[in-house]
Amino acid sequence: MSDNVTKTNEVQKTAGIMPKKLIQFKNIVKKFDGQLVLKGINLDIYENEFVTLLGPSGCGKTTLLRILGGFLEPDEGEVIFDGENIANLPPYKRDLNTVFQKYALFPHMNVFDNVAFGLKIKKEPKDIIYQKVTRMLKLVGLEDFGKRGVHEMSGGQQQRVAIARALVNEPKVLLLDEPLGALDAKLRKGMQRELKKIQKEVGITFIFVTHDQEEALTMSDKIVIMKDGNIQQIGSPTDIYNEPVNRYVANFIGESNIVDGIMIKDHKVMFEDRQFDCVDAGFGTNEKVDVVIRPEDLDIVPVKEGKLRGIVRSTLFKGVHYETVVETKAGTSITVEMVVSEDKPVVNEAAGEMMSANDFYVDADDVSEMIEHPENADAFIIDRADAQAWDPTSDERISITKLDYELSLKNGRYPVTFHTAAGTTVTADMIVQEANRFVAEEHGEEIYAVNFFKKADEIAESIALETDLKIWANAQAYDLEDGNPVEIVSVEYDFDPANVAPGSYPVTFKTRGYEYRVDTTKETEVGAVVGLTFDPEDLHIMEKSQIG
Amino acid sequence: MKQFRRMTYPYIVWALILIVAPMLLIVLYAFTTKGNDVVTTRFTLHNFARFFSDSLFLKVLLRSLKVAAITTIACLLLGYYPAYYIAKCSETFKMRWVLIITFPTWINMLVRTYAWIGILQDDGIINTVLGWIGIGPIQMMYTEFAVIVGMVYNFIPFMILQIYTSLTKMDGSLLEAANDLGANKFQSFLRVTLPLSLPGIISGITLVFLPAVSSFCIPSMLGGGQYMLVGNVIENYFLHSGDWNFGSAISMIMAIIIIVSMYITKKVDVTEKKEA
Amino acid sequence: MKPKKRIFGGILMILLVIFLYAPIVYTIVFSFNSSKSLTKFAGFSTRWFEKMLNDRTMIDGIKYTILIAVIATIVSTIIGTLTAIGLSKSHRILKSCVEQVNQLPMMNPDIVTAIGLLMFFSALHINKGFMTLLIAHIMFCIPYVILSIMPKLRSLDPNLAEAAMDLGATPMRTLVSVIIPQIMPGIISGALIAFTMSFDDFVISYFATGNGVNNISIVVYTMRKRTNPSINALSTVVIVLITLGLIIYNVISAINAKRREREEARLRAEMTD
Repeated sequence: MSDNVTKTNEVQKTAGIMPKKLIQFKNIVKKFDGQLVLKGINLDIYENEFVTLLGPSGCGKTTLLRILGGFLEPDEGEVIFDGENIANLPPYKRDLNTVFQKYALFPHMNVFDNVAFGLKIKKEPKDIIYQKVTRMLKLVGLEDFGKRGVHEMSGGQQQRVAIARALVNEPKVLLLDEPLGALDAKLRKGMQRELKKIQKEVGITFIFVTHDQEEALTMSDKIVIMKDGNIQQIGSPTDIYNEPVNRYVANFIGESNIVDGIMIKDHKVMFEDRQFDCVDAGFGTNEKVDVVIRPEDLDIVPVKEGKLRGIVRSTLFKGVHYETVVETKAGTSITVEMVVSEDKPVVNEAAGEMMSANDFYVDADDVSEMIEHPENADAFIIDRADAQAWDPTSDERISITKLDYELSLKNGRYPVTFHTAAGTTVTADMIVQEANRFVAEEHGEEIYAVNFFKKADEIAESIALETDLKIWANAQAYDLEDGNPVEIVSVEYDFDPANVAPGSYPVTFKTRGYEYRVDTTKETEVGAVVGLTFDPEDLHIMEKSQIG
Repeated sequence: MKQFRRMTYPYIVWALILIVAPMLLIVLYAFTTKGNDVVTTRFTLHNFARFFSDSLFLKVLLRSLKVAAITTIACLLLGYYPAYYIAKCSETFKMRWVLIITFPTWINMLVRTYAWIGILQDDGIINTVLGWIGIGPIQMMYTEFAVIVGMVYNFIPFMILQIYTSLTKMDGSLLEAANDLGANKFQSFLRVTLPLSLPGIISGITLVFLPAVSSFCIPSMLGGGQYMLVGNVIENYFLHSGDWNFGSAISMIMAIIIIVSMYITKKVDVTEKKEA
Repeated sequence: MKPKKRIFGGILMILLVIFLYAPIVYTIVFSFNSSKSLTKFAGFSTRWFEKMLNDRTMIDGIKYTILIAVIATIVSTIIGTLTAIGLSKSHRILKSCVEQVNQLPMMNPDIVTAIGLLMFFSALHINKGFMTLLIAHIMFCIPYVILSIMPKLRSLDPNLAEAAMDLGATPMRTLVSVIIPQIMPGIISGALIAFTMSFDDFVISYFATGNGVNNISIVVYTMRKRTNPSINALSTVVIVLITLGLIIYNVISAINAKRREREEARLRAEMTD
């Protein structure tokens, strides 16, 4: 349906029968507290259009709408409405009406009086008001609800009252500020259809603000995508979906796989170290580009038939289809040794106490941290050595009151003795060793972990083993560029946690690798090695954008 | 909507004239010598020096602070349980209790205080009852005891209501959680209820202590003509002896003491909240 | 609570009620005493009421108290409402300045506010009397009105006023037909607070009045030293007036609540049809 409308617009434009320009934003600039919220917006809106301003919260879309409604004045620029600059006109002198986000129905009036409000202000005769309101309530399907208080209405009904209240004044433009945001998913779908129907029926321009891309795609004739006070792209839903101008738009409109690529020459793009045919042209030779592949354009096939190969990481049933994640390249990983010891706890029968501690690894950074902050050192060592004392009869924990140790930056083993108040002691070795870290330039990541000692029963007793392994090994990963932590998504080990024999076991920690989201109708087994395939026209090549 | 801003202008002018200017006048008088003509005024610290060098005035100040402190503590001790009791009642009983507690405060304070004269007099109701069991008569009127009774009577509803409000705001599931985590009734009161009612206690303290320090009709009605608190001294200097400069200085000292104590309680409140 | 505790608590609460109400009951009872004694009830009579009615000062006191309270309530409610609405749209610096200034009469001891006004009036050579008393009352009532309206304005959906203007209402029309109806509960409670503050005030009135214009509090205060049971009669009148006022107020709100409930029940019934 929306396709048709766009096409007729196109046809009219090319034929020279331009639809009338109703609203022109000219270089609108708006600041709040010195912060630029709108950075020079230029936008034309035509008669009878359903225009959607789409973007995340804080992109300026609501500000733009409020400027048009007259609730804010732009710092710079003009708002031309019907050939007249209305930038400084108060809202009550503007020939347009607004449906507010939370409806803003007057709580002290019933439904009828809410809808009649604007007409009463204009001092229209009573019988005319009655006719108009009744007709409007019929349009929104609430003809029997006039006497009802607004709080007696459901969210969807309040929504219709708000629409009727605005439309009854016969505005040239209706502004809608995320009007469906407060409704639940099912109701929202219904209202989307209804709004579109109403717009067709009354034949006026609707300007609709939302952050919901699906909503924008289903309802609009024209979508305006905004970000950080700028317009990113203006176009029909199909244009924007199929030919996003940059990575930001592609990401915002539907879920996409976006990979880094290089344009070898026209119709030839390289990513994941392989060359593929594509339909795009006009980029510079060897220009770095973003390649967008929609999940529904990818197919899972046997490895031999695939253009890419990978391992299925997860599948999620989404009602109509399965969302399958295929990893084509592993993430950064690091392997450490877990030494399982059989050390028995120290028993102090005189005091009725038992005590234990593991040997543990630290690196030079840890040692210098302890030297700089000696007040935290004891707690750090107790934690790493997992030193504990307890009363074997009641199983209650007993505090460790004193530690004896020396700190040295040189590699080697240094004994640490833990004391309780009752005089029980246990000694473990602090092993100073180079840090075990791995830098993966291709992923731009660094991962880090240490070898560690553990007792079999502690492994058996762990209630969240993967998390405990990360803590015991002090496993962490960082982005090389900004130093932000990167999530470690998998912990691999090859032992039965319930009974681990003493010995040494490798534990591997991994970050996320290259992943493709694929929409499939069939479920694929997790862990299966599969191929991925696509057609040349499914690759959408975009210029590398600075933003996003 | 900028149009609405203009509606504040009349009140701003009004407040500058009738709230700010009189306060400045007090400061001006407190720092000048006698002679109420603006042209001949001269700056002086004499009024303050006089107050702090005369043991009589210091005694009155200390007595005021002592009486206010005793009143506050009495209101807190006598008022906490009723507040707790009401907060535990069902919704309808809560409303009834709140009405019972607030109703006396709606009646003119002078009227209610006057009634205590008849009750506390040497041949008053209490002494008559004590006489039946062979005690007394005990002199209560024109003693500090009478003043404190009068103040507690007048101010205790504020304390009860403040604590009650903070207790009703408390999420009932917190106590269940405390019990679930092994706290007995007394422990959960001490570690959950009491700390959470602290904001109410603090605002109750301010609402009792401040009027108690500055009150002058209760002491002069129940304490007699010889019994002086700071308020009575100020009244004297303004309405009887006419030394407004010295009276202003005393008022300033009192106001500063009150502002400082308010500031401290507010600080305590804020840090408590932060810790919570 | 265990039954034992409840009994114990109940006794404590009864003692509290006795403490709070004994003086009030005492006052009423002894206003009908036939003898002059404040402690021995000799028999029922209304002589102290007759005496009060013949006492010009007392009758004037009642008249002035009511007159001042009514005018001060009306004026302070109007000014306070308009100011609060204006402040809610003003810059937050102005807002916090006005709020700070309003704190002064609320937080300062009454006696400080009182002597400030006393000196202010005399500095301007204004003779103290009815007008000064009225101005003083309006002055200390407005901050309470503003304080009770501000929260209502803060919780008011700003879109409501915008919606009204969007539908063509001028700012004044918006004020009258949308904003004020929405904050009505705050205005009413502000007016109620103003009325009782004015009705009960002693300290500020005591310093701000003159020329024989006295309210009930001042009358009671100046008569405190002589044994005069007609003060009890006056007190009884005050207690009855306040009680009547509270009853009327509560009955009206109860009726309103009932009506609303019935309306809602009717609508619910309609909906289920």
